[in-house]
Amino acid sequence: MDRGFLTESLRSAIESIKTNKLRSLLTTLGIIIGVTTVIAVVSAISGLKQQVAESFSSLGANVLYVQKFPWVVGGKNIEWWNIKKRRDIGLKEVQALKEFGSSFEYVAPQISRAFDVEMGEKKARNVTIQGTSEDFPVIMNQGVNLGRFLNHDDIKYRRDHCVLGKDVANTLFPDENPIGKTVRIKGRLFTVVGLLEEKGDIMGQSLDNVAVIPYTTIMSKFTGRKESITITLLAEDEEEARQEIRWILRRVRGVKPEEEDDFSINSSGALAKEFNQLTRTMFIIMVGIAAISLVVGGIGIMNIMLVSVTERTREIGIRKAIGAKSKEILIQFLLESIMICFLGGFIGIFLGFSLTKLLSIVGNIPFAMPFWSILLGFGFSVAVGIFFGFYPARKASSLNPVEALRYE
Amino acid sequence: MSSLIQMIGVKKVYQLGETEVHALRGVDLELKKGKFACILGPSGSGKSTLMHIIGCLDVPSSGTYYLEDKSVGEMNDDELADIRKDLVGFVFQDFYLLPDVPAWYNVSLPMIYNRVSPKERKKRAIELLGRVGLGDRIYHYSNQLSGGERQRIAIARALANKPEILLADEPTGNLDSKRGEEIMEIFQQLHEEGKTVIVVSHEHYVAEYGEIRIHIEDGLIGCEG
Repeated sequence: MDRGFLTESLRSAIESIKTNKLRSLLTTLGIIIGVTTVIAVVSAISGLKQQVAESFSSLGANVLYVQKFPWVVGGKNIEWWNIKKRRDIGLKEVQALKEFGSSFEYVAPQISRAFDVEMGEKKARNVTIQGTSEDFPVIMNQGVNLGRFLNHDDIKYRRDHCVLGKDVANTLFPDENPIGKTVRIKGRLFTVVGLLEEKGDIMGQSLDNVAVIPYTTIMSKFTGRKESITITLLAEDEEEARQEIRWILRRVRGVKPEEEDDFSINSSGALAKEFNQLTRTMFIIMVGIAAISLVVGGIGIMNIMLVSVTERTREIGIRKAIGAKSKEILIQFLLESIMICFLGGFIGIFLGFSLTKLLSIVGNIPFAMPFWSILLGFGFSVAVGIFFGFYPARKASSLNPVEALRYE
Repeated sequence: MSSLIQMIGVKKVYQLGETEVHALRGVDLELKKGKFACILGPSGSGKSTLMHIIGCLDVPSSGTYYLEDKSVGEMNDDELADIRKDLVGFVFQDFYLLPDVPAWYNVSLPMIYNRVSPKERKKRAIELLGRVGLGDRIYHYSNQLSGGERQRIAIARALANKPEILLADEPTGNLDSKRGEEIMEIFQQLHEEGKTVIVVSHEHYVAEYGEIRIHIEDGLIGCEG
């Protein structure tokens, strides 16, 4: 097949689609829906993955979070009604982990509140007041810009010292050095001893709107002791650390051998696994929906192409009478069904793109339409065009010329 | 010089539901290059079938047919298509033009299959339309044209790939006698230019034009003269 003939067949296919605009559009609806689904879901998953990856990095690698509840409820027989009566996690557990643990060096309790932080007339609103210990910077990979972090004595003596995040510092001390100054949290005065390094933001939320104070202070002054806390640990080998933590906590909490753990050890790695499971499920569902609509769309294409072949029986006869080979008729009709599907793919990609864009704006999800999803969309539609267009095209090409000419 | 067309005992049998239709019952025919032949006969005599077989649009059920000394019976579909493309030009009673394209495109259609470049196609189509007296109808669609004009487009189309043989199946059947004669004049002229022309008809004035008249009845050649 040379290019001249293909161009001519393509031209004729486009001409035929143009004459039957509405019919072609309706025919290709299945393809449009299929491709739109593929593009939208692939983009949504990619966007979500990107976002989640950012969140994961803020959780820290190799950081274990010992908490009362798991991050994801529902999987692996962990049902809400089984775990809601769990006992709180408190300082007793922190003490035990520090004392007996050998697979992790750093342990920091975390307990937080959201309060306004004031300095004279200025006010930083809704600041995350993070109560923790001196191990926090190592575990959370948090650097200090200016001054120092909380030290052992700050924790021990429940000092009213704080380390400010960039946002808070900028609001309260726009053009002066905040170290040594005093800020007010819930009417209590705190001395600023340091500034945290900038962390940026995820999902449009700043990680720098924070003030860190000793956990001993937050517990004695703001939260009391009757609240379950989070214990963060930096583990070298996550699996080993998990085993050891379970062993220590089961003992210190008096969990009987036949009973399940009454605490959860969360980590970004485990969450990533859960998340990948979720996206895999989404992906399978998407492939299912796409496959169904593409097959339905393909059958629609086949149907309309059969109609087209019947309608144009005489044209086929004429073309054969003036010297067209069967192969050439086949290519003409195959190109037409491919073009219809291609059109559907094009519209589908456009709609999928718009939908994703809309979702990213409304849902505040990062916009991520991978290039391969476009290729996938076009590839799918062209494949459907070839697969479902072949039978009608074959039928057209095998018509007997004399009978085709006589067809009324 | 050997014959352009040579048929020996050509039969054609159609299966029409349960019944077998014997369209041709053993036709012997010989025609030399450059002749103008009229195949005459009433409707149902098998003359259209004969013409289809001559033009390789159809193949015989039995018997042998040599076209330019090549046995048509041994050809495959592609080779038959090549003959229709290069050697033969058809003109039909019902014109068989594509309705949604301008006149010049209809004329250029056979050249697509001969891989003529688009520019050359259009140029040659316009030239051919001029030759059949439709130089001012190049961009008209067939529903804007009269029967005589449509048939002339069909003739121009038949000439597109410079065929050796022109085959016309009742070319005047849908025209009044004046337009019919105009069409036959074109065939006469083409014959004079050296083309082999075969016209199938049941109309007597058509027979006036042929050098050779072949009568066919009930699938058999009657008398030649």
